Amino acid sequence: MDSEDDMHDANDVDSYEEDYYSGDAMYSDDDDDAGYEFLDNDSDDSDDALVSRQQKNYTILKEDDIRQRQEDDITRISAVLSISRDSACMLLRRFNWSVSNVHEAWFANEDKVRKAVGLLDKTDIKPPKAGEVACGICFESYPLDKISTAACGHPFCNTCWTAYISTSINDGPGCLTLRCAIPSCGAAVGVDMVNMLASDEEKKKYRRYLLRSYIEDNRKTKWCPAPGCDCAIEFDLGSGSYDVTCHCSYSFCWNCTEEAHRPVDCETVSKWIMKNSAESENMNWILANSKPCPKCKRPIEKNQGCMHMTCNPPCKYEFCWLCLGQWSDHGERTGGFYACNRYESAKQEGAYDESERRREMAKNSLERYTHYYERWATNQSSRQKALADLHQMQTVHLAKLSEKQCQPETQLKFIIEAWLQIVECRRVLKWTYAYGYYLPEQEHAKRQLHQCAEKELHTYLNEDASQDEFNNFRTKLAGLTSVTRNYFENLVRALENGLSDVDAHGASSKTSSSKNAAGTSKGKGGKGKASSKGGAASRNDDSTGWSCDQCTYMNPKTVTSCQMCHTSR
Amino acid sequence: MVDFGRVQKELQECNKDINVSGISVNPKSDNLTSLIGTIPGPIGTPYEGGTFKIDIDLPDGYPFEPPRMKFATKVWHPNISSQSGAICLDILKDQWSPALTLKVALLSIQALLSAPQPNDPQDAVVAQQYLKDYQTFASTAHYWTESFAKTSSLGIEEKVQKLVEMGFPEGLVRSTLEVVDGDENLALEKLCSG
Repeated sequence: MDSEDDMHDANDVDSYEEDYYSGDAMYSDDDDDAGYEFLDNDSDDSDDALVSRQQKNYTILKEDDIRQRQEDDITRISAVLSISRDSACMLLRRFNWSVSNVHEAWFANEDKVRKAVGLLDKTDIKPPKAGEVACGICFESYPLDKISTAACGHPFCNTCWTAYISTSINDGPGCLTLRCAIPSCGAAVGVDMVNMLASDEEKKKYRRYLLRSYIEDNRKTKWCPAPGCDCAIEFDLGSGSYDVTCHCSYSFCWNCTEEAHRPVDCETVSKWIMKNSAESENMNWILANSKPCPKCKRPIEKNQGCMHMTCNPPCKYEFCWLCLGQWSDHGERTGGFYACNRYESAKQEGAYDESERRREMAKNSLERYTHYYERWATNQSSRQKALADLHQMQTVHLAKLSEKQCQPETQLKFIIEAWLQIVECRRVLKWTYAYGYYLPEQEHAKRQLHQCAEKELHTYLNEDASQDEFNNFRTKLAGLTSVTRNYFENLVRALENGLSDVDAHGASSKTSSSKNAAGTSKGKGGKGKASSKGGAASRNDDSTGWSCDQCTYMNPKTVTSCQMCHTSR
Repeated sequence: MVDFGRVQKELQECNKDINVSGISVNPKSDNLTSLIGTIPGPIGTPYEGGTFKIDIDLPDGYPFEPPRMKFATKVWHPNISSQSGAICLDILKDQWSPALTLKVALLSIQALLSAPQPNDPQDAVVAQQYLKDYQTFASTAHYWTESFAKTSSLGIEEKVQKLVEMGFPEGLVRSTLEVVDGDENLALEKLCSG
């Protein structure tokens, strides 16, 4: 580590500007301003950098936005096709809320669509003019005003209707495709009937399912997976990074809905998370006794019957339990219902040996795994600490600082920005360990990258100390934040580009980190003494380990000098 | 809560044309949530001549939830478990509709006896035999019918005779015997107490 430090210092002067421009060339768009500010020592505001931090390829939808969009789509369909809003809603649901698909199908073959959705044009049943009608469910006779019918005209009493609808709603989202109770009929029962006959609580549930359907059936939208968050994210498919950040400040990967994990790919993350899962016992059980539905991925346990599986509604996917292929491809040819030739032949070719191999591999690599896991987990806890510190900064220290410096809080955003960067860096570092675990041959290069990257962080630790030269400090911190951001972008892209690029980018990352080292020493000069207020002080009493004052790395209790930067405790 | 009004109506309706359909539904005990259904084995099948009893449990949500039915009589059929009597029939699961009745369900089960669907089996062993070696299947099914679906009815006349001689009316004796599945002692106990 020390020798690397030296190298950075030696390179400081020469490589500084050069690197900067090479960084520029890579990011011709967003980060220019922030960078020049740093160079010129002339930044009165880091807001530009803040705003342009990411070019968004997604939209965050709040519940009201979702309802609004849903209403708009229904209104549009209802106007264009001249049908009721109720029918428009059912049509849209059937076509996964795609307005264009509804139009296309409707104008291609209206009768077919009507039949599929259950929108009857005319009814064969003549409504009786007066007298009493027998309910088709309880078989009692009722006067006409106690009887309701769907578009088909099959009469049921209101009590039975209410029970029918309520059973369906309490059964789950399948209620959105409710049909008339006469099995051969198929007339759709829509939101109008529900509003007329269901209880308030059930209406609420129904609306909830309708809202969920709008997000879940749509290919371009997903719910934010953070607990308690009601927002959904609309993503522009086919556009760059999957990382999205919700209003609730939770960042996740839109593709796999795990926590954001650039530069590691989704598959690696799912493997890694599965491996780490504290519920590995449960997981083992699920793995051993269930298979995910090939379509909706919910785990399914087969407890009886043949190999012909049908997933729960609304998925209803039919597949073969053995080979997980579509059931419609099966039959007598493939060995009937209790066997599957495809599975047998694929098995002989070794297509299912994967799980066997994985078990063997896991055994051999347990030790290596522990090594990476410990580091992954410590970065994780460091990140949690940083988040907590950030929170404290936002709620307590920022106001104090603002008072002391006679600056409005908006002018202090750069501090928050710096904290966010630390959190972000921790996240990236964390995932590079998962990455490293699955790429053993690159271990050495990766370790170097880790070590370089770790050093970027320590400058931010003491940021709230430099009250004397406040303006100076701000300039530098803003600059450092942007430089670190650049550096991490470099690192992340290098890793994303895969193995072949790692060596080349590794070299450039190294030089760019030398630039950062320059920033680091300047930062130190600026702040003079390093007092550790607030979060930093509370770090060391943690029973699980201690956080390095220099680089914030969370070390185990047993060591006396930092495993990352070798600073003694 | 089970709609008992409807259940009562269903029982009346079903037992009205018992001579035509041969299908009957009777309460097992005082409450109407557990019933026993009887269907004759369809003519021209290995089940011909047998009388099959079906346990019926009505869930709280009946008729909005499907009745739970399983064979009480052992039967050799691809869609019926030879172990538990569980029935693989769509209208007893997701295709149930409150507009259907117990009688319709029993009729469907009877239809299932005449037309097995080995491509959607409940009992894989039976289904395999049905497809690969129909002859053996048919004789096994016939043997099971003879052994399990007829024994009680064979001896039942004697039991009826015996109980009638004790002074109980014949109609009551028959229905009581049916409820207790042909167990003479249980029937006597019931007749004496009730």
